[in-house]
Amino acid sequence: MLEVRDLCKSFGGLDVTKKVSFALEPGERRVVLGPNGAGKTTLFNLLVGELLPTSGDILINGASVTALSVDQRAMAGMSRSYQKNNLFEDFTVRENLALAAAAGLSKEKWIARDSFHDPEVREIVLDVANQVALTDILDAPVHSASYGNRRQLEVGLALATRPKILLMDEPTSGVGPGMIGAFNKLISDLPRDLTVVIIEHDLDLAFDVADRITVLNYGDVVFEGTPDETRGNQIVRDIYLGDWQADA
Amino acid sequence: MSDAAFWILQLLNALQYSMLLFLLSIGLTVIFGLLHFMNLAHGALYMMGAYIGISITSATGSFWAAFFLAPLAVTAIGAVLYFTLIRRLRNAGPMNQVLVTFGLIFVFLDIVRLGWGDIALGLDAPTALQGTTKFLSVSYPTYRFFIIGLGLVVMATLMTIVSRTQIGAMIRASVENDDMAAAMGINVGRLFFAVFCVGCALAGLAGVVAAPVFSATTGMGISILIPTLIVVVIGGLGSLQGAVVGSLIVGSIETIGAAVLPGVASILIYVLLAVILVVRPAGLIPARV
Amino acid sequence: MFHQTPARSFTLAVVLAALVAYATFGGFFAREIVIEIAILAILAISLDFVAGFGGMVSLFHGAVMGLSAYGYSVLTAKFGIHPIPAAFAGIFLAASFGAAVAAIASRTSGIFFIMATLAFGQMLYTIIFKSRWLGGDDGMGGIPRFDASWIGLDFNDSLQFAIFAVFGIAVCYGIAALLLRSAFGRTMCGIHGNEPRMRALGVSTWKHKTAAFAISSAIAGVAGVFAAQHTQYISPELLFWTVSGEVLIVVILGGLGTLVGPVLGAAIFVLLKHEVGNYTDHWHIVVGLLLIVTVMAGGRGIYGQAEHWITGRSRKARESLNA
Repeated sequence: MLEVRDLCKSFGGLDVTKKVSFALEPGERRVVLGPNGAGKTTLFNLLVGELLPTSGDILINGASVTALSVDQRAMAGMSRSYQKNNLFEDFTVRENLALAAAAGLSKEKWIARDSFHDPEVREIVLDVANQVALTDILDAPVHSASYGNRRQLEVGLALATRPKILLMDEPTSGVGPGMIGAFNKLISDLPRDLTVVIIEHDLDLAFDVADRITVLNYGDVVFEGTPDETRGNQIVRDIYLGDWQADA
Repeated sequence: MSDAAFWILQLLNALQYSMLLFLLSIGLTVIFGLLHFMNLAHGALYMMGAYIGISITSATGSFWAAFFLAPLAVTAIGAVLYFTLIRRLRNAGPMNQVLVTFGLIFVFLDIVRLGWGDIALGLDAPTALQGTTKFLSVSYPTYRFFIIGLGLVVMATLMTIVSRTQIGAMIRASVENDDMAAAMGINVGRLFFAVFCVGCALAGLAGVVAAPVFSATTGMGISILIPTLIVVVIGGLGSLQGAVVGSLIVGSIETIGAAVLPGVASILIYVLLAVILVVRPAGLIPARV
Repeated sequence: MFHQTPARSFTLAVVLAALVAYATFGGFFAREIVIEIAILAILAISLDFVAGFGGMVSLFHGAVMGLSAYGYSVLTAKFGIHPIPAAFAGIFLAASFGAAVAAIASRTSGIFFIMATLAFGQMLYTIIFKSRWLGGDDGMGGIPRFDASWIGLDFNDSLQFAIFAVFGIAVCYGIAALLLRSAFGRTMCGIHGNEPRMRALGVSTWKHKTAAFAISSAIAGVAGVFAAQHTQYISPELLFWTVSGEVLIVVILGGLGTLVGPVLGAAIFVLLKHEVGNYTDHWHIVVGLLLIVTVMAGGRGIYGQAEHWITGRSRKARESLNA
């Protein structure tokens, strides 16, 4: 589904991504772990095209998307949420979701019809609002919504384009324990044919939802395996466990 | 006129015009680099420099009095603008800055019409600089050599200050990252004000030295603003070296283009602007990497 | 996001009705003023479309209008082409130029965009000013108005032409409002709100902005056709930067991003201009100060400020009811 081959990125001589390779099966849930500064977000930026790699290749269903722009990759089925909320602050929750849904349906260029009143767009908006538990505040402006609600909308925007591959950058960043459970359920309830990559700091959540786990350290893939293998792995414990405890 | 003499003359004209553009664009670009403030009224300050210079000369009978006092007067105008408008607009976003300074262009236009009338005013070059000087077999107005020399002196001085002194290091640090500069204990507010004043003074200086060459008109502010903006964009916003390179390029294209390709000369710099925006949107020598 | 609220519809209806009444019951001079207001209002609608909703502030809308006016005038006066296709050609010319500049300038953001529009607008002015064939700074005359005798109208009659121009405001407003309520307009508002996110959602924002600018320029082109027909004589003055500046001021003064505000702004601006003109010919200083004061006061403009007060008050009333 999604494959990365020898992906490298350096900023002025500093290698932040070093020959990263992995392949995801359709419907797989992959969690990317790693201490701060391991290059997780850089990897996401490379995947969606917000950064261009120094070398290496990114493929969707076997076709290279490395030369495609951000919007073209989104059209190819990739969608991401951000670690820091990146929303349409002045619009309502409904308008946010409708913009994303229309873009996902390629209806954003219509000049004769209103995407917000399109039945397909409306269906997606209600569907996604239900998924991310925002049905009650659909008509509230985003800037007045709580931080937790905005976190949910952040994921909702990524979902509303109906992607084939969903990339979530620390969806639970900054939210309380109660909401982590809600995100756990949200991810578990995602349709099984959706391929998901999650950067996550909360280990319980990570081990719960992951089919496989990739561990990054200083831009290197230092480990890849199932949650059980990860738990027992000494390298992972050495480089990562100290950091968890410091983090927690 | 021989072929060689023609080209020498054109090059001197280009250099002279480039120096005026440099005096203006350097202020505009460094103010933008430091304060993230785009002052569209920069051309209006240049115009004020010319008119105030003409008044000072006619009051004192001395061009040199105008040469030193007009930039000071323009700096004072700049300081008033800084404390009334610009400081408050620093975080107001580029659109509000553009709107307010664009409004200032209208205001200065009428201030000049009220104070000096609608007719073009001339200014005589100082006696010592009248006449021509021979350079490589070409006779060229001495006063224009003076402008070239002045531009080079200002350029060298600014380069030295920016690359060699403590203040220069502070400016470079602030252009790179003003939060960092503030964290390092630089009084960013005072530095900004100082840089803004220098920018205004240079605009005023450009105005007063330009008056003997081009006469002062109410349209001079906007007609210099456009090439100055183009210099800043093609050089790279906020970049000192960019302003130097950009001024030389735009000055040469405008002057030599007018002599060689009079039909299309007036649009050459716009074509250049379009090409740079497409090929290198950050400018030739971007201030930040 | 654009909403055609009842208050906006009501305000538009009142302004248009007032213009028609003023033209009908006023004399020749009143009709000239109404036509002037209509041209400025259409131009202001076109600018608010991209600046207020798309976040792309332009300093060349006057030049775009002038380009269309010249296109129409050259085709009709020099080549004797029928006014209707000539008008479409002028509008198309304006749209193409707007699209070309936007395609170049949209690669950069904010401040570069504004500077690029100012520069390319001045480029048009310079070209036309220097063109002997277009009459240079003398301009050109002999421009016909539409022939509407087939529906029993005579646009050479100042009243009928004035009402036709007011009709032009209504049509342009309607087109702009419909486009803003379409998927295209929604997406443009989204790009204004958060361009990187819009791109991440799969929208080619560069193409979208270019298309939006083409549409806006086409509406400015409509204003240009009216301008050429109004005086039946055009000069490069129409393309000068002060015209672009004035329309920007009209939009800001009336209320950026309200669509009806700029129409109201155009009416106030033209009336004020003629009033001030009775006392002084230093109109520019008034314009400049108006712009500065409006922006420093929060930048909502007349209609925007009124709307802000009203919605603020109704929200407070609702909250006190709930409490």
